[in-house]
Parts: sequence; structure tokens; C-alpha cells
Amino acid sequence: MSFFLPILILPRRSAFAILLASAMLPASGFAAAEKISDFKKDILPVLEDYCYDCHGEGTKKGGFALDGFPSQEAQLGDIEHWYTIWKNLQSQLMPPSDEAQPKVEERQRLLGWIEQAVFKLDPANPDPGRVTIRRLNRAEYENSIFDLLGVKFDADDAFPADDTGYGFDTIGDVLTISPLLMEKYIEAAQDIVNQAVAEAGPRIPTLYVGGDRLKVGEEKKKNARWLPFADPATATGAQRIEHPGRYKITVVMKAEGSKDATSHTAKVGLSVAGRAVESMKVGWEFRKEIKLVGETDLVKGDNVFALDVSPGDPPRGGEKQLNLNVTHLLLQGPLDGRHLEYPKQYFRVFPDGPPTEDATARSAYARKILRLLADRAFRRPVDESTLNRLVALAETTAKQPGMNFESGIGQALTAVLAAPRFLFRAETQPEPNNAGRIVAIDEFALASRLSYFLWSSLPDDELLKLAGEGKLRASLRAQVDRLLADPRSKRFVSNFVGQWLQTRDVEGINVDVTRFLGVKNDEAYRIFNPRLREAIRAETESLFSHLLADNRSALELLTADYTFLNEQLATFYGIPDVKGTEMRKVSLPAESPRRGGVLTHASTLIVTSNPTRTSPVKRGLFILENILGTPAPPAPPNVPELEETRKRGKNLTMREMMVVHRENALCASCHARMDPLGLALENFTPLGTFRDNERGKPIDTTGQLITGEKFSSVAELSQVLATSRRDDFFRCLTEKLLIFAIGRGLEYYDTVTVDQLAKKLHDDNGAMRSAIYAIVESAPFQKRRGDGPHVATSADNESLRSAVTTR
Amino acid sequence: MKPLLSRRHFLRGLGVTVALPFLESVAPLRALGAAPKAKYGLTHDGKPLRMAFLYVPNGVNVAKWAPVGQGADYQLSETMAPLAGLKEHFQVLSGFEHRLGWAHGDGGGDHARANATILTGARPKKTAGSDIRLGVSVDQLAAQHVGEQTRFSSLELSCDGVRKSGACDSGYSCAYQFNVSWRSETAPISPESNPRLVFERLFGSGQGAERQKSFLLRQARQKSILDFVMEDARTLNRELGRNDQHKVEEYLTGVREIEQRIQKAERFGPLPDPKSEVPAGIPAEYQEHIRLMMDTLVLAFQTDSTRISSFMLAHDGSNRSFREIGVNDGHHNLSHHQNNPEVLAKIAQIDLFYSQQLAYFLQRLRDTKEGDRSLLDNSMVVYCSGLSDGDRHAHDNLPVILAGRGGGVLKPGSHVNVGDKTPMTNLYVRMLNIMGVKTDRFGDSTGVLAV
Repeated sequence: MSFFLPILILPRRSAFAILLASAMLPASGFAAAEKISDFKKDILPVLEDYCYDCHGEGTKKGGFALDGFPSQEAQLGDIEHWYTIWKNLQSQLMPPSDEAQPKVEERQRLLGWIEQAVFKLDPANPDPGRVTIRRLNRAEYENSIFDLLGVKFDADDAFPADDTGYGFDTIGDVLTISPLLMEKYIEAAQDIVNQAVAEAGPRIPTLYVGGDRLKVGEEKKKNARWLPFADPATATGAQRIEHPGRYKITVVMKAEGSKDATSHTAKVGLSVAGRAVESMKVGWEFRKEIKLVGETDLVKGDNVFALDVSPGDPPRGGEKQLNLNVTHLLLQGPLDGRHLEYPKQYFRVFPDGPPTEDATARSAYARKILRLLADRAFRRPVDESTLNRLVALAETTAKQPGMNFESGIGQALTAVLAAPRFLFRAETQPEPNNAGRIVAIDEFALASRLSYFLWSSLPDDELLKLAGEGKLRASLRAQVDRLLADPRSKRFVSNFVGQWLQTRDVEGINVDVTRFLGVKNDEAYRIFNPRLREAIRAETESLFSHLLADNRSALELLTADYTFLNEQLATFYGIPDVKGTEMRKVSLPAESPRRGGVLTHASTLIVTSNPTRTSPVKRGLFILENILGTPAPPAPPNVPELEETRKRGKNLTMREMMVVHRENALCASCHARMDPLGLALENFTPLGTFRDNERGKPIDTTGQLITGEKFSSVAELSQVLATSRRDDFFRCLTEKLLIFAIGRGLEYYDTVTVDQLAKKLHDDNGAMRSAIYAIVESAPFQKRRGDGPHVATSADNESLRSAVTTR
Repeated sequence: MKPLLSRRHFLRGLGVTVALPFLESVAPLRALGAAPKAKYGLTHDGKPLRMAFLYVPNGVNVAKWAPVGQGADYQLSETMAPLAGLKEHFQVLSGFEHRLGWAHGDGGGDHARANATILTGARPKKTAGSDIRLGVSVDQLAAQHVGEQTRFSSLELSCDGVRKSGACDSGYSCAYQFNVSWRSETAPISPESNPRLVFERLFGSGQGAERQKSFLLRQARQKSILDFVMEDARTLNRELGRNDQHKVEEYLTGVREIEQRIQKAERFGPLPDPKSEVPAGIPAEYQEHIRLMMDTLVLAFQTDSTRISSFMLAHDGSNRSFREIGVNDGHHNLSHHQNNPEVLAKIAQIDLFYSQQLAYFLQRLRDTKEGDRSLLDNSMVVYCSGLSDGDRHAHDNLPVILAGRGGGVLKPGSHVNVGDKTPMTNLYVRMLNIMGVKTDRFGDSTGVLAV
């Protein structure tokens, strides 16, 4: 018992306690039974005092009893059983707040005992677990292809949706490959290579002019990337030309604004230096790109291009309005071929330009090219025998009729892109089936973990170089900083936040807009259109980015007195004086703090609503799952979701209806946890707009957490979450980040890792960047073990651990 | 053909065995090359026999679904009204249960279980991700035997393209809720939702002769790539642990299928000409979307490109709203109707909408002639939901329609009460038998349904 005495004076986090406790022990003595609290003497009495009323001696509330095992051995061996107890104790869900509570020390003792005696965990040497080989998900595939070859590939269009687990699409276990997907991977590889390795030889050069260079109007705030079909406009811009002559001009555009077909059309005309070149009618096109092609003469020096948009057929009832997005212009010429160039793209694959005629040199060149590509695609140096086979494939193909050096390389590159070592992120280790063998992942694997975590893509040259030199582990934080400073880290924010806070769903979710805005279809669309949805999504993601960039506290996700808006979103929220389309940081009015923190972001409010009304249950559940990390147990089977058990009384507010179904005792136990949280958000419609009454009655947003804290508004709720429940929030954020980063769900043996990470976050007051550092430095991110269930750590791993940490 | 054979040996040599159900025999792994002697997927007189499963989510308005009376003289229910002209072509089967859809101690998650059990009759392992485990689905089991006869062993379709982020139903991985077809206990098949992609996959892209040419060129080029990736998988697999190897096995299975496809292309000759325009993509209206998928499926059957298909119109728990028919609320939300007549009426509207789509599909099949019979005569089409009353999440008394004559062995035209709590899988055993798959068990079946 004396061993546990220090715990009495420590805060509630068990791992911290154990860390200290175990530090006082010789490492090898850790698992010795006599050092751990005795079940009969120290543990059982606490359980009897606080739990047995409902879960013992014949009572089995919720179908759960603590006793009734055939033997103590059987009881202590049931890890699932104890994991349930651990989770309930840890989150203070049990005993219920209206029952007698164990003392802090008693709770700690139980948690610590479970972790050591039942889970057999060693906080000083956490089990890293094992990540199943991960297939690239659609986002990762798209980004990897782009970063490797500069080819934009639409994986969402080409591949079936990825399955998700634990709320994320990075989970190795559920990312399967069906024959259909395999077929599509091969097709995709062929398409991508066709784009990357266009026909050989010098070509008439093509100049790229971004659509944003064509400006609209006097103030030139708008540009050709956003031209509503309905508004006549002319976008103009000048481009310098070095080689005058006849040019082919291609205007590449998309009709945006509706995923579904509409009959809305417009006329688009191109003119150069005031001369009309070509025009066409544009409308909704499934094949995303629309091209307007014409020929004209360009002079040396500046040439002024003008795009003229005028309305055509209006959309029919219910159909959405379209707008034109001119992504770019391609100026190809002079067409007489007096001036030829190799395209830039060509050098991406063929770094030394076209091959020479000499056979030996060609072979060496093929080898060089394929090594460069395979190293990057496989994210580690390609082995010689694979390289030999790639070179052979290229050479065999090149010899076939109609083929050349370039098409040979193309064929080999196709094979690389279809190969398992590209499509899967494999991490190898000695003794892959020995669960007791823990190893540090090699530095190439680490480079991939970093880049897929923070860029959703393959490692760049610098990461691979450091890994090759064995210096990556030593410069981990610097690399995290570098990766986060790179624009590619936007992908992390949109993929992580997109799934954690479900901002991904904002763009597609079904809402009955006309009902909540009280306006007709067209007007509703003018207000709540894809641009607004985009801004709503960007608001939440911008806040996260901002905290990450400035290393601010994650608590500001809950309590920020500022937010990110553009004119359209600000108008939607009723916040004045924000002009223009750019999202920017805006301080919120102090006198009426209606907004602030993600709970008041339209993104959260929309994704937690039903199409026709708010859902306090979904909103409450969202907070429990994603902020507090204490999801409610699922509704009992065959009992309809509580929200629906209302009697359709006349003119009841949402709160009144919720009261009706909380009267049912069976339901009340869980709904007392979620409903008050959700009801605190009742001031916001399913669209996220503010309201102060519902059906003519004032809205009551007061409530209480199951842990006792009272609040009277969403602002107070956010404060409570960020103060007295902050450690729950830190733990929740940590868990979500860890799951996303390592690509597996968390198991009981991860409790010590999560404890440690959450404690770091606590000590740093939630600093976002510290959270990222802590994740990448954690055992599950740095190491892996053999396949199989957790085994108590061995002396062998002890020595390995010191070897790893002293690197 | 020799390299293929040796590659197959290589697969076995690796210890690569895709989990297959007990009755898996040598049939699907038969050496390719010579056209196999057909014994699966044929009618009694040797015509192609098709099998399709149409899934609708969230149960039905039970009162409006139930037909009146039994046998041939029964009256169609209100919900079945759109099927009136087809009455002689289908039978209503009442009384089926998916026993493993109930909780059995696994707690909530009835939508995930409804979706998971529907074609498998297996119990989904409750996990949010690690170690997903269910069972092979009836369509896939059939495809493993019949698939050899056609360019595509099966087609998996859905109208759900986008998935909700965040967790799925009550601790079940989304894999259970978004797939009805499972090729093994651990490998769900993601359905395709874009009609254009389905069409191009079946019939190639481009026009006329170019279509055939580009198809052949692509296939020719794929061969050498397959050799390379097989070797790469082998190198990789040597270094991996059990679970990882399992994933690479999935990959190899995929590669093997493409090889078979290339083989088949040689065997089957030129691509079938669908004599039809390529669909533009995903249409605005749900009904149009469903019908485009159905059109494509009819074409696939008609050209004998495949004989097996599953079509999940929407996943269970789907909260889609039906503005086209004036129902703005979400379907799932409505399904918890609490016997509110207004809400029940809306559910009936949705059910009716789905019946109309079924009617469209069956008409298309009926109107497509095949010899002196119709495509529908040479088909078995199951239309079903994994729940009866969505409010109670009931997994028994499931709404099920079996359409088609199965080449002449089925006797449509009546309402049959199969007996309370009869496993739905008993029907599947029967269908499998009709397809030529000799088995007396499937999933949780307890016998063979006599229909």
C-alpha cells in the first residue's frame, strides 16, 4: 500500500500518478505482483461500496455486473470487462452524479490498478500497437499523384467512396481493395501516365494564363473564376507574348453551382484586342471541363483578352443557379512551328530532357528516371531487382511497334502507380507476427507517417533525404514546423477537421433552406448557395489553421471571441462591415456574444440538424463525442431514438418536446447527458442562423452537464467545456488526432499513451503545435510491434527502448 | 495460358487463401483458358439466368405494405399499386426474418445490422473499424460460381455516392452500413454510384470502332503491368505480418480478376454494343438516378455482361429527403414515426416512390425479349428492406418481393406467407440452388424455401 501513497496528493490523471510511481521502481520489478494493489484488499471494497448497488449481488443494471465470475482469475482476465469499467470511471460517468462518489484517491487507485494488474501496461514503455497496412484513401491518392507528377486527378469521381472507421478515412483495417477498385487503380494509372508523359518531342509551346488574371469591373475585385450565369459581365486581362503569330486559344472553364443537372445556360464570348474570336453557349456539364477554342493572331508585347458572359436560359423551378469558373486560358503558338519547346511537364518525368540516340546512354537514362520516380512513389529507395524489372519493362515496351523511349517509361511508370508499394503504405519489421517484439519504425516509414499525417501525401525530397541519412528522428520538430508551414498542410486541416467536426458534410448536406429563411427558392439559393457552404466550411477550418499556425490554445476552438468570415457569411450571420470574398479574422462584438467557438459555427449547427428541424439529440451527441470524448452508449435496441418518441402536441418548443420523452426513465439516463447540451444550441436554426424564439415562445438555453456544471447559454456552455471539462476536451482532441495520424482505433493498451499526451496538452495549456509534436513523438507514431494481442513488455523491449530513445 | 496457371500456383504457394465459405469448391479457381463447361447460372434449357437484389432502406409503412389475402387471389396493397400491371411476374413473400439483425447483446446499431445482414445472413462483428467481420453475401457466393460465364462476375450499384463523415451507426464501422455485397467475411465491395462510370466499365468508352480499339489497347498494356505488380506484391508480402498480408491478398484477388477479365475478353470477342448513349453522369433527380442505374443494369443483363447484381438504392439509416414527391423531411427521421398518422403517410409516399422504381425495372426486364421469353422470365429479382417497421427497428416480417420466373422454376403471381420468422437465407439457399450452386446452407439458414 505504501507504494500508492503519493497518489493521494496528485491530480486525477492516473497515468501521471503511475508515471511517478513507476519511476520509483526498478524497471524490471514493475510487473511483480506484490507491488500492485491487492484486488481483495484494496479494490474489491471500493467496488462494493460504490458499484454493487446497481452492478453486483444480483442486480445487473444495464446488463452489467461486476461479480458472478466463476473465479477471480476469470474475472481479472476479462480485459473487455475491465476496459468498460475503466472508461466509465475515467470519464466520471460512473457512478452517476446523483450517487455517492468515490474519493479522488479511490478512483485513482482503481484506474491505476486496472491499468497495471489487468491491462498489464507499463507507462514507461507503452505498447505502440500495430497499424494495419494502409491503402491510400481517395484524398491521399489524389495528393500523392499531384505531388509526384503534377497531374490533377479527381479520385472522388473515379473511385468508389472509402469506408471509414472510428470517424476517419485513414483506418487501415477498413480501407479494403475490391476487384472493382483494383480495376480502377489500373485504369487511373494509365490515364495519369497519359497526362504526365504526353507524346514525346518538342512542341509548339503553350502559355498558361490563370482565370484570376482576367478581372471584372472598375474595381477589379472580381475575376473570371466566378462569373454568375445570370449577371452580364466582361472579364479582361493582358498577357505578354514573346513570339508573335497565329495562336490557338483554349478557354478552360467549369460550370459550377450544382452537382445536379440544370437547364441554366449562358453565352460566353472571347475576344482579343477587341476582335471577337469565338463564342459558345455553356450549361451544366457532367464532364467537368468546358473548352472554348478559337484561333487568332497575337502581337509581340501585351495582348488584351476579354471574356464576355451574358445570360441564356434561366434554371427551371427547383434547379440551382450556375456560375462560370474560368480556371485558365491556354495560348498555344505560334502555330506555324517556328518556335518549339519541350513542355515543362516533360521535365518532371524526363529531368535531362529528351534521350540521346546512344543505346547505353538511353538505358542508363531510363534507369535514372525510373529510380527517381520509384523512390518517390514507393517513399523509400527502390531495390535493385525491382528497378531492373522496371527498366526491362520500359525497354521491352519501347521496342514494340509505334512505341518509343517515352512510352516505355510511361508503361513502367504505370506499373509503379498500380503497384502495391505505391497504393499501400507498408511498414515492415522483423518478426512481424511476434506481438512481443516492439521496434522503432525505420526513418522512411516515419517520413511517410509524417507526410501523410500533415500533408495527406507522400514525403518530399527533404524528408526522404533526411530519412536516407538517418537524421529525421533527430530533427522531428523542425520537420513538423516545416510541414505545417507548407501550404500542403491545408490538406491536414481539411481532412482532419473535415471529419472530426464533420465540416466535410457541409457542402452536400440536405437542408430545407426555404423553410428556415422564409423565402422562395430563387432567393433562398441566392443566400444559401455553394459559395456560402464553402465559406461555412472554411470558417471552422480557418480557426483550426489559425490556432495551429500561431500555436494558440486548442481551447480557443471553444471560446474564441473572434471568427473567420467573408462578406457573404458575415451577412448571413448578421455581422456588419465585412467586405469581399476573402475569409479573414473578424473580432466578434463583445456586447452580444452570439457567436464564438465551433459550437456556434454554422458548420456544426448544420451537420447536427435534420433537414426540417434542429436536433438537440444530435447536437448533444456531437458535443459528447467530439468535444468531451464521452459518447453516450447507443440507444437500446428496438427503442426508437428518443427524439422521435414525442407526442405530437400542438405548438410545443423543442425543449418541451424533449421533456416529454425524458419522462421515460429508461431513456432519461442517457438523454440527461446529451439533451441539455443540444438544447443550449437551440438559439440556432438548422441553417445556423440566430433566432430568439421558437413558435413565438422565447428559447430557454439553460442546462446542466451530467458532471454537475450549470450553464445558461451556449457561451457559458463553451466556457464550462473549456474550463472545468478542459481535460476531457484535451483527451478527446488527443484521441482524435492520434486515430487520424496512426490509422487505427484506440485500444485499452493505448490508455497510457493517451494519458501522457493529454497531460502534455494540459501542461502546455492546450497549445496546438505542442499537441502535434506530442503525437508524432508518441510511441504509437514512432514504433510498431508484431501482430497479435498485447503482451506484457519484456526485458528485450526494455533494452530496445533505451536504444531507440538515445538515438 | 501457362503463365496464368503458374501465377495461380504462386498465389497458393504464398498461403494466400481468400476467406471463402464452407462450400467453396474448386469451381471459381478453375484454371482458365478453355471456356469452362457451363453448369452455373443457366436456366433449365440453357439460357443465361440472372439474379438481382434491390435494397431499400429504413423499412416500410407496414400497414400500407401488407397485401390482403394469400395465394393467387390476393390483393395488392396500396404501396404495391404501381406493380399492378406486373402482378403475374412477381410474388410477395411475407414472414421473413433476419435473426442476426437483432441485437443479440450487441446493443444499438439496427440500421448497420439491417444493411449488413440483408444479403449475408451473418452477424456483423461490432467494431468501429479494426477487424470488421461479416460473411460472404449471397450475390457474391453466386458470382464466385457463375461469374466465370460472363465478362463481369457481378455488378454492385448504389445511388449513395457521398458518405457522411464522423462515426456511423452506434459503434459499427461504416463498412457495414454502406455495403450489401461482401466477397469474403472481411471484404465488402463498395458499390458504384455514377451511371456513366458503370456504363463505361461495361461497354468501354468512346464511340463505335474506337471503343473496341481503345479497349483492346488498354488491355494489352495492362498485361505487362499485372506481371510487375504481382511480383511486387510477392516481394512485399514476404515481409508482412498476418493482417497486412490479408490486405495484400485483397489486392492480389483484384489483380487476378483483371487477369481473368483479359482472358475473358479474348474468349468473348468484341465488346457488346449496348446501342445506347453513355449516361452523362449523376442526374439531379433521385428517380432519374435510380432509373439510369436500372437501365444500365438491364443492358448488362441483356448483353450477358453479368448475371449477378446488387443494387442498394440507399443505405439503411439514410436520411435522404424526397423533395420530388413533396417529402422534405429525412427518410430515417421519418421512419421513427411513433404511429403518428401524418408521418406514416409520408413514409407510405416514400414506399410508393420506391415501388414505382421497382415497377420501372421489372417492366424494362419484361419488355426485353430473350428468345420466346423475356429477360424477366430468366431472372430472379429480390426487392427488400432490412427492416419492416423502422420505428421499432424490427428485423422480422420483412417486406420482400421476388420477381421473375427464374427460367421457369418459380411460380410468380401470388402472395405467400412463408411462416413467421423464416430465415430470409432459406430463400437464398433456394436461389443459389436454382443458379446451380449446390448447397443446403447459407448464412443462418435452416432449410430451403419451397417457392
